[in-house]
Formats: sequence, structure tokens, C-alpha cells
Amino acid sequence: MNDKSGELARKIREAQERQRQIVTGGNDGSGEPGKDEKGKALRAGTDLVAALAVGIFLGYWVDRWLDTKPWGVIFFVFVGFAAGFLNIYRSQTGQDYKVGFKPTAPDAPKDGASGEDGKTD
Amino acid sequence: MANPLQQFVIKPLIPLNIGGYDVSFTQSSLWMGLAVISATLLMTLSMRSKSVVPNRWQNVTEMIYEFVAGMVHEALGHEGRKYFAFVFSVFMIVLMGNMLGMIPYSFTFTSHIVVTGTLALMVFLTATLVGIFRHGLHFFTLFLPAGLPIFLAPLIILIEIVSYLSRPISLSVRLFANMVAGHTMMKVFAGFSVMMAASSGLGMAGAVLPLLINTALVGLEILIAFIQAYVFAVLTCMYLKDAIELH
Repeated sequence: MNDKSGELARKIREAQERQRQIVTGGNDGSGEPGKDEKGKALRAGTDLVAALAVGIFLGYWVDRWLDTKPWGVIFFVFVGFAAGFLNIYRSQTGQDYKVGFKPTAPDAPKDGASGEDGKTD
Repeated sequence: MANPLQQFVIKPLIPLNIGGYDVSFTQSSLWMGLAVISATLLMTLSMRSKSVVPNRWQNVTEMIYEFVAGMVHEALGHEGRKYFAFVFSVFMIVLMGNMLGMIPYSFTFTSHIVVTGTLALMVFLTATLVGIFRHGLHFFTLFLPAGLPIFLAPLIILIEIVSYLSRPISLSVRLFANMVAGHTMMKVFAGFSVMMAASSGLGMAGAVLPLLINTALVGLEILIAFIQAYVFAVLTCMYLKDAIELH
């Protein structure tokens, strides 16, 4: 009797754990990457490099326009990096990628931006 | 023997030259045309009977339709119905491009950055124009996060603009890189097989190993072909959502 209820309790715990993993998209903080995590990681790579490429392109263009070689490229590399990290932050917190995602504080969804400014200096 | 990148070379089928520009009808154009024709045929022929109990083809069409409709509805809500046709077309051309590319001796036009780049730019410009037409100049508040201290504004706006401009690049590079990497990998393993079979003794028997890997890779590539089309369509929805809702 006691054995059975113990087993039932264990099964319920397992089911709840599964449910929680489904809700949180497989990321339960245990550090083991799920399928979704791998996709996110691949995406992070292109996001970072794309923003950096835009930054360098803008910097080059500004240099040619204002004749400030090399300061434009130097400045915009940092801006591009910040934008890249911002992209990654957004996709990792699900503000950009997940369909129908609603941030918990809908009036301040881009809070992460203020955390990035340190990287530009 | 076989250069794994040979498969991506563009070959003109009907050489054309208009006003100094090379506008030849290439095998890439041929497969793009085939993608559009096969998608259209799939949609129209399979729905001809319109039976309550669908047959196999009708089932496929209904599944694709409901998949994209669900995606658009989830991202954009009721408002999204206007943009369904656009997202569906983008999804179908990318899906057909990826899937037709899996047929042996065919050509994967999504493995060229000029194709994916044009698609991504089209999505990007559509989303931006939708935003500007809906919100006017108010659209540009997208670059100004709420509750931002004013002294940080110039820097953050710059970062946000770079982040926004990076979207079409990361969208196009992701699809292009996945297709090139996958098809190159398959060709490399196929090359192993051929070279080992051409040798003698143990190598000949071992030739079956790369073949086995390649069999698994074909399955993986079909999965990736679908996932990349899905990702392209989902991100199209997300960009439209940003433009419509303005956070």
C-alpha cells in the first residue's frame, strides 16, 4: 500500500517535471542543451556576425563620407558588437523568435538595451 | 574527381543579353520556375475535389495551409489575415526551393545568397513599409526603447538601428549557409563512397560506410529544408508583428 502511493507520488513528480520542461521550452536550467537550445545557438552565431557586418559597413561608409578614416570603423565595430549582443539577448529571452510571445512587462520589452551600453565604451 | 562546390555553379541554359546585362535563363531560373509551378499545381490540383474526407494530396495541402495560417494567427492575431498570402508565398517558395533541391541532379536555388538576400530584403522592406504606412513617423519610435534615460538615447538609437538593419542579413545568411553546408556535406560523403569503391580490397568493402552516413544525411537535410523554410516564415511574421504592434 505504502509502496504503491510512493510510486504514484514519484510518477506525479515526473509528470510535473515533464510538463514544466514543455512549458519552459526544454530549458530547465539543468545545463543540458535541448533541441531548441541548439537552434538558438546556431541562430546566435548569424545574429552576432550580421550585426557586426552592418556595423563595419556603416563605419566604412561614414569614413568615406566624412573623411574620418579610421575612426568611423572603430566606433561602428563597437556599435555593431553591442547590436549583435542585443540581438542574441532578444532571441535568447524569446522576445523576438517565439511566435506569440508576450513579455511579462509589455511596456518595457527592450529593457535589455540599457544593459548593453557598457560594451560600447 | 568531384569538387563538392561544383554543384553550385550557375549554368546558363538560354544565353540572353539585354542592354549589356547578362540576363540568361539559367538552371537557377529553371528551378525557381519549377518551384512556382509545382507549388501552384500542388495547391490547385489537390484541392480540385474539395472532399470532406480528404485524400492524400488534399491532406498535404490542408496541412501546409493550416500550418502557415496557425503561424500567422499566433504571431499577428486577427490582424494577420491581411498578410497571410504574403507569408504563405514566402514559405512556399523557400520550402519548394529547399525540397526540390533534395532531388538528385536538381539545383538548390536557395543555396545562393543573391536569392535568399533578395527574399530577405523583400520581407524586410515589406515589414518596414507596412510599419511606416500604419504608423507614419511614429514608426521610428521602434528604435527608442520605453523608459530610456535621455542621455543614453543617441547611443541606444544607433545600436537599435544597426540591430534592425542586421535582420535581412542574418535572415538570408542563415538559409543560404544551411543549404550550402548541407549539400556540400552530402557531396563530400558521396565522394568518399565513390573513391573508396574505386580502390581495392578493404577500401571497397568500407565504401558502404559513407553511403550509410549519406542516407542519414538525406533525412537530416529534408528536415533542415523544412525547418529553414519554417524559420524564414516565422521571422517574416515576427518582423511584420514588430511593424504592426510597435511594442
